[in-house]
Amino acid sequence: MTKRLMQGSEAVAEAAIAAGCRFFTGYPMLPFTELLENMAAKLPAAGGVCINAASEIEAVNMALGAAATGARSATGSCGQGLALMQEGIAELALNELPVVIFNMARGQQDYFQATRGGGWGDYRTIALAPKDVAEAVEHTQLLFHLADLYRTPVILYGDYVIAHASIGVDVVPLAFPPTPPKDWVVDGTTSGTGRARQIWTWALGKPNTPGPGPSRAWEDIAAKYGQIARAEARHDVDRGDECEVLVVSFGTTAVFVDRVVEDLRAEGLRIGSFRPITLWPFPGDALDHATRGCSHVLVYELNGGQMVDDVRMHAADRSVVRSIGGVSQDNSGMRQGDLLSADVLRRRVLDAVGLPRGAS
Amino acid sequence: MTERAVLFTGVGGQGLQIVSKTLAIAALAEGRDVLLVPRYGGAMRGGKTNAELTVGDGALRALPVVTSAWAGFVMDPSFWESIRPHLASGAVVVVNSSLFHITVDVEDARVFPIPASDLAAELGSPMSAGFVLLGAFVAITGLVAVDAVVDAMRQLVPAYRTQHVEANERAIAAGAAAAPPLAAPAWTDVAAMP
Repeated sequence: MTKRLMQGSEAVAEAAIAAGCRFFTGYPMLPFTELLENMAAKLPAAGGVCINAASEIEAVNMALGAAATGARSATGSCGQGLALMQEGIAELALNELPVVIFNMARGQQDYFQATRGGGWGDYRTIALAPKDVAEAVEHTQLLFHLADLYRTPVILYGDYVIAHASIGVDVVPLAFPPTPPKDWVVDGTTSGTGRARQIWTWALGKPNTPGPGPSRAWEDIAAKYGQIARAEARHDVDRGDECEVLVVSFGTTAVFVDRVVEDLRAEGLRIGSFRPITLWPFPGDALDHATRGCSHVLVYELNGGQMVDDVRMHAADRSVVRSIGGVSQDNSGMRQGDLLSADVLRRRVLDAVGLPRGAS
Repeated sequence: MTERAVLFTGVGGQGLQIVSKTLAIAALAEGRDVLLVPRYGGAMRGGKTNAELTVGDGALRALPVVTSAWAGFVMDPSFWESIRPHLASGAVVVVNSSLFHITVDVEDARVFPIPASDLAAELGSPMSAGFVLLGAFVAITGLVAVDAVVDAMRQLVPAYRTQHVEANERAIAAGAAAAPPLAAPAWTDVAAMP
């Protein structure tokens, strides 16, 4: 194993290519820009194509077109750019096209966007939130697999720290079970046979090859998301010895929670941590189980209170759920602010459970 | 297990990002684990440019936000206040004294003024001032060997900039020569290192 110093964006680009990504497109926007630069530099040598789009709307629709031909296709931006892509993401879902969408977010304010989406129709997006660069390399590869397995758009929720932090990495290609054959792609092979394929949101088909129509098609798609919700929820939990306090967080923030939990536990507090790895599907059953017996469930997220909704929905006792995060943005606008701090988190945990700040 | 965190500060155009990355590559090549987080925004030349580097053995415990750094690497006074509160007491602070004339208000700081910009200008390569200060920094601390810095710099300079490799190498050597050797060692066994 040889580790090379790589910025998160470079490591994620290499992971995407290792996972078979052969089409990438996007419009520059910090902190996503470096991923686009790395794909532009590396993808042609792997036999792929990277196109600098004229806008995020163009990018998501080009990614849709590439996916329709069967290519492993991806795009991305930060949350502001994903806001523009919402119609395209809904179309991807309702046309059952696999595309990986990288949200190199400027903070944690895109939780609702990642888990609820802003398009139309009955769809969800599988959203993975890695806590560091090493996990982002694994999640990137897993996402290409899940996108093909379920024929759905999926999201990697990264951030400034994951996009820009450099560590020594060795991008190891991961093996996954085979995915279903892409017998639906529009690649010209059946042209002129009377059985040319069609990908259309309304699923009406053509006169000699009628489709199921919108109601049946969308019912099946909605059912598919129910199946994904049951099968793909992932989480990380550390309850120690029957914790009384459980801190819930996602992404980079969880690294700070791990540290504070470790320190406070050493000082005698019965404290644990819970992290949804998939923001959607939210690991609700696991959270229900993890929060049993807890007198404090503290949600540390750097936004006005988004994931806390899901935590309240699933906690064993929702009356003990409380937010200890908040909106916190660096003045550059590109990354989390001063609330991303082990010291601040420690104080907020101790305040929430009614212990003096100096010791527990 | 020892972990050493270094906070870098400068302004865009001084080469701070390439210098911090050079040190990270050198440390990785010497078998250490590293975590390097650059801090820059939309502004480029003249804008704030910082970096945080943690070097240690084995899996790092370091968080991607350094709040109590062992050392400061100060190319420029403009954004000094953005790192000063995050330097630990007793921190090693290596400053580019050609530009930095502020009293280092950090408890028990060990301050090493190196006229990096002047030395680089004397060498005829003012652009390499960052490498002068890096040469001095590693000579003072032994965080990595001076030769490892030269190797890392050679790896990092892109193909279209190789004309600067020799000047950078001279800059690293000049910085190392201008610094008190191992005046603030990073590792307990550093004196034994070649």
